[in-house]
Amino acid sequence: MYETIADLVTMADQTQRPISELIIEQEIQLSHSSREIIWATMGKNLDVMIAAAEKGRTGQGVQSATGLTGGEAVLMAKYRAAGKTLSGDTMLRAVENAIATNEVNASMGIICATPTAGSAGTLPGVLSVLKERLNLTRNQQIQFLFCASAFGMIVANQAMIAGATGGCQAEVGSASAMGAAAAVEVAGGTPQQSAEAFAMAMSNLLGLVCDPVAGLVEIPCIKRNVVGSVNALTCADMALAGLTNKIPADEVIAAMKRIGQDLPTSLRETGLGGLAATPTGIKMKMKIFGEDVSIHSEAGPDEGRES
Amino acid sequence: MTNRYRSVFDIIGPVMIGPSSSHTAGAVAIGHVANRLFHAPIQEVVVRYFESFAQTHRGHGTDYAIISGVLGFDPADRRVPMAVDLARRLGIKIKFIEDQHLSPIGHPNTAAVTLINAEKEITVWGCSVGGGTIEIRKVDLNGLVFAPQGPLPILFVTANQPIGAALDQLFAANYRRPRVTHRLADHYIYQLDLLDRPFPEQLIQARGMSQDAILL
Repeated sequence: MYETIADLVTMADQTQRPISELIIEQEIQLSHSSREIIWATMGKNLDVMIAAAEKGRTGQGVQSATGLTGGEAVLMAKYRAAGKTLSGDTMLRAVENAIATNEVNASMGIICATPTAGSAGTLPGVLSVLKERLNLTRNQQIQFLFCASAFGMIVANQAMIAGATGGCQAEVGSASAMGAAAAVEVAGGTPQQSAEAFAMAMSNLLGLVCDPVAGLVEIPCIKRNVVGSVNALTCADMALAGLTNKIPADEVIAAMKRIGQDLPTSLRETGLGGLAATPTGIKMKMKIFGEDVSIHSEAGPDEGRES
Repeated sequence: MTNRYRSVFDIIGPVMIGPSSSHTAGAVAIGHVANRLFHAPIQEVVVRYFESFAQTHRGHGTDYAIISGVLGFDPADRRVPMAVDLARRLGIKIKFIEDQHLSPIGHPNTAAVTLINAEKEITVWGCSVGGGTIEIRKVDLNGLVFAPQGPLPILFVTANQPIGAALDQLFAANYRRPRVTHRLADHYIYQLDLLDRPFPEQLIQARGMSQDAILL
């Protein structure tokens, strides 16, 4: 197994093959499966991602069961269609698709976790722009997902990808870095440029906390995916332009891990700190659950614990 | 380096019903493990949550996710959000407990799932480590306690005869750590922590020489 990003880059350089190909080969070996099956499975995941974004941004869009979120991807689509925007059509396409995907997730629709459900909008946001700007074929979009998974697997094994263990930097931060690296590959950059894009994207989001209001994957999760997508695209552009991160990607991952471990529990997906602890956040929680679930809970007998 | 994530589809995937991969899709997977180990009609389910799971299970849909797994649903099954109602309509008693203690298996996303009927009771302590991937760090089968290292796959084999050496021959190259053997009055239970999913033909061979082989 590839254990570091440096290993991936070295092997890609030595064999003159893209990182997406290296990870497909590893998958064939470890899963006892065939290239055709692995490729078709990733193709199905791509279809789920495309369908989720489409569902969220068309018609009336979707609403979450709590009523806290929904319908904003449709608002963004209308605004973008009107043409008078500040950040331009390309960036807002990413914004629209990232929001749409995470609104569908919050409404209990079907999504593909990339790498998590809370960060499921980041890669679709990036991919929607690349498809448009680079005229990516279906196979190139699948290649993008394989390349992103190679980088994501290293983060998952060397650090963490769960908000409960590492904060949002481990979810949206990881997704953004994966998207940046994969964007460089499908845009024709070098493996080292992918690593630089990854390192810049993750560095930019270090320290991002996980503070969901009422413990729901809605506020601020949905719009944090926008930051993930936009950051991925700008970091990919920086890497393609020849900018470098100075701190190597593997060391950025190690820093992310240490920061995650240092974060207090209240900022790791407990819904107890940050935006969740604001007066409005608490009010929303009381309205939805009718009580403060963090105070009223049954301690229970001590069975089931290690003696 | 933990190497608990070994497939590209642990990272790009699973395809699932929202809203949280660790608190929803991972919770389905923990329920699924309990279901597969129990493989009998269920009368009662007790779910005990720790740490982040205890704080946010309602908002994340963890309740219906665990019960979906217990009922054997896939994480992308349309019935997932309705699972608690469906189970209660089947006559299954369900209880959720928010335990204020730290996780007994050392992870913030921990659930202990107990399944009960007139004949037996099992408890599975699982943690959802992110992106839908889970670890099973403790299992209690009718009072017999196992402590797997965590990452799946884990293979439990029950046999009336000693078959440790034969299992080693089949699976040793794929061992995450050495085989664990429990010798009981009239049978043996083997716990194998594996690195990768075994080949189907290996499982068929293991089933052929045992009474039961459950792959988690």
